[in-house]
Order: sequence, then C-alpha cells, then structure tokens
Amino acid sequence: MIVLGMVILTSLAFDFTNGFHDTANAMATSIATGALKPKTAVALSAVLNLVGAFLSVQVALTVTNSVIRIQDSTGAPNAALTANGGSALLLIVLAGLVGAILWNLLTWLLGLPSSSSHALFGGLIGATIAGLGFSAVKWVGTDTKLDGVVGKVILPALMSPVIAAVVAMTGTWLIYKLTATVAERFKIEGFRWGQIGSASLVSLAHGMNDAQKTMGIITLALIASGQWHDLHAIPLWVKVACATAIALGTFIGGWRIIRTLGKGLVEIDSPQGMAAESASAATIIISSHLGFALSTTHVATGSIIGTGLGRKGAQVRWGVALRMIVAWLITLPSAGLVGAVTWGIGNVIGGIGGAAVVFLILVIFSSYMFWHSRKNPVGHHNVNDEWEASADEALPVESVKEVVR
Amino acid sequence: MSQLLLALQAGAQVLFAALLLGAGLPVIFSLGMRALAYGAGGTAEVGVDMKPHPVGKALAGLCFGVVVLAIVLGISWIVGTGMGYSLVFDHLLPTFRKK
Repeated sequence: MIVLGMVILTSLAFDFTNGFHDTANAMATSIATGALKPKTAVALSAVLNLVGAFLSVQVALTVTNSVIRIQDSTGAPNAALTANGGSALLLIVLAGLVGAILWNLLTWLLGLPSSSSHALFGGLIGATIAGLGFSAVKWVGTDTKLDGVVGKVILPALMSPVIAAVVAMTGTWLIYKLTATVAERFKIEGFRWGQIGSASLVSLAHGMNDAQKTMGIITLALIASGQWHDLHAIPLWVKVACATAIALGTFIGGWRIIRTLGKGLVEIDSPQGMAAESASAATIIISSHLGFALSTTHVATGSIIGTGLGRKGAQVRWGVALRMIVAWLITLPSAGLVGAVTWGIGNVIGGIGGAAVVFLILVIFSSYMFWHSRKNPVGHHNVNDEWEASADEALPVESVKEVVR
Repeated sequence: MSQLLLALQAGAQVLFAALLLGAGLPVIFSLGMRALAYGAGGTAEVGVDMKPHPVGKALAGLCFGVVVLAIVLGISWIVGTGMGYSLVFDHLLPTFRKK
C-alpha cells in the first residue's frame, strides 16, 4: 500500500515534468515572436492541456504493451507479477518512472527539448530488463503490425521530425509567397491570431496525447495491487489528478527549453511561427489518430527547423540542432540505465525499504538539479533575451586551447 | 525489414495528410488575409487612396470560415472517436454515429 502510494506520487511527478518539459513545443514560437506575453502563453497552454487531458477518454491502460511484456493484451498485469500485492510490478514501474523523471530534469537543466515519452519508455525498458531480462522487452513487432521498440519508438522518432520539417517548410514558403504583396499592417494582426490558434491546437493535442500515458500507468499499478478491477475504465480521481499535474507542470513552464526552441534554433517571425505550429498540430493529431506513435517534442523541433529552411535568408543554428539530436539519441538508453540501476538498488534492499530508497534517490537528485538551476535561472523575464553563442558552444574552442597548452 | 516498410507506409500517410492540413490551412488563412487587405483598399498607409472592395471582404470571410470549420471538425472528430463515435458525412452534413 505504501509502495503503491509512492508509485502514484512518482507517476504524477512524471506527469508534471512531462507538462513543463513540453510547454515549449506549443508556446516557444508564440513567446519568441511576441504574439503572446510569456505568462499568458503558459497559462493558455496549461488550460488547454487540462481540457485535452479530460477529452482523451480512450483507455490507455495498455500503454506499456508496445514495448514491454508486463501486461496481457487486455491490459491485465501478468499474474506472475501481481503476487504479494503486485510488489514486483510496482518496483519495475517505480524504477522506470524514476529513470524518466531524472532524465527529464537533466535535459531541462541543459535546456534541451528531449522527448518525455522516450524517457518514459526508456526508464520502463531499463527497469524491465533489470527485473525480468531481455526477453521481457518487445524489441520488434510482428510482420503485420508496427510494434515493439523498433516499430513504436525508434522508427517513428527518426521519421517524425523529417515529416514535420517538410510540412513546415512547405507552409512557410507558401505563406511568404502569398502574402509578399500584402501591407504590413494587415499581416501583423492576422499572423498573430494564426499563431495563437495553431499553438492552442498543439497544446490541446498534447494534453490529449500525453496525460493518458500517466493515467494508464497509475491504473495499471492500482490493478496490480488489487485496488481496482475494471480493465475498461480509469478511476475518475486518477483522471483529475493526471490532468491537474500536467496542467500545473505546463503552467510552471520549462523556460530553459522555451528559450532554446524559440530563440536558439531559428530566429522566428510570426508567419514562421504560424507555419511551424500548424505543421506540428497537423502532424501530431493525424499520426496519433493513425496509431503512429510519435513524440510531440520531435515534431515541434522538426517544424521549427523546417520553418527556418523554408524562409529565404533565415538561418538554422545547426550547432544547437545537433546538440538536441544527440540528446534525442541518448534519451532512451540513458533513462533506461537509470531505470535499471534504481531497480537493482530497490531489489537488493527489497520490500518497502527498497522502494523507499528508490523514492529517496529521486527526491535527492531532483532537489540537487533544482538547486543547480537556481544559479542561472531562466524565467519569463529573460526568456527572450538575445541568443549569444552560449558557453557550451564555445566550449570546444576553449578545450582545444587547453590541450594546446 | 517489414517493420521499416510498415513505418514508411504510415509515415507517407501522415506526411500526405499533414501537408494537406498543416500547410493547406495556413495557405487558405494567408489567402484570407490577402483578400482582407484587398477588401480594405490594400494600401500600406491608412487613409491614402482607400477604395474598399466588398468582394475582398466576402472572400476573406469565406477563407477564415473554411479554416475555422476545418479545425472544429477536426477536434470533434478526435473527441468523438475517443468516446466511441464516428463522424460521418450525411449529405455533406457532419453527424455523429455510435460505433
């Protein structure tokens, strides 16, 4: 029971980091172009995430099924894992969530927009490998269906940024072409509304997509420990708690990531903002409908790069883009490693004590990273400051000098 | 290998639909803005050579209407599907039907 409580708290904490990590996906462009004041933007996005979370009534109980084997196809947890109040399953889920949260916080600290869903899947995969072995992970799907780590995570991750970039590039190019002769005073107000509208759609889609993952995981934990029995419904309080957590996270705003996406990658103008957000919204909504699992973060980043490519004279800072891509590549294995290690620690100590230590690890590392972030805070006050070649981009030169000396 | 083919197939579908909606709707929106400017005379400075064109205003309204309608339909479609309804077009009128 105590362990279940810790799992629920950790799930909600993940949902919260999911919210603030992804505020940027929807609102970075509107904030950067000044279409919305920073605080208004995050508030709007938070409300729409909340609404989106409630609109997503599809039962997401089988969310883990595409990558790991801890549930059967109906969503019921494997019998072998539910013995003793489901403690085996709870520890795997707890360790996986800790891996996901710590990776989310680290990438936030570095201002990198990495995928929360990859972090979640990575953490769970790592904890599953540690707990049940390699065979408990579904690596590749069957011939007829896109499934497994390859089909549901890796391939979509490779393709979605490219798709979004092509759409945004096409949109940007056409918009500039079509409005070239229109007087500025008509464009300013028009594109402002276009941007706000399209960014709102992204926020709504995000709430619909991401909140249900946490809902599914909490419900799974409840079922495994025998507290809930319906495989076709999610308890109302879980829905309310998850929707609130993701909305609160969004409202707090991951300002570091907003800054990177809005100012770091491309210097964005309002028509580009509208093109980028429309491309993101369309790609996310359509693919989630077709069951092509993708990450909001990858799509949003792809769109912003695309909009830089589609406008004559605009520049993409490829150095920044490269750092992001590296972060994407290592998100899954890194979160997995943390998940596996924390599972190991929890398992060696065992029982409630083991889970408590895992929980403590989460609290200690999170507090450390939060404390570290205060040394160099980024908030609504300085999110739009001029982008300078940052310390880490200059780093290689410095280290070369060190070596030469 | 088959996973790659399946992914490419799904990706192509997404790309096609996203191009249509994600680039197409902004284009209609831009056309609307262009029509609006034309409707108001289209000059850069306020008060100079203002010759309003009502046709432009009507066209702008049409364009913005199409964009808003597409978004509303899109959202209702998704929400409806989540609740177990499907959106069908009876004689061009959108209606919800229980699956």
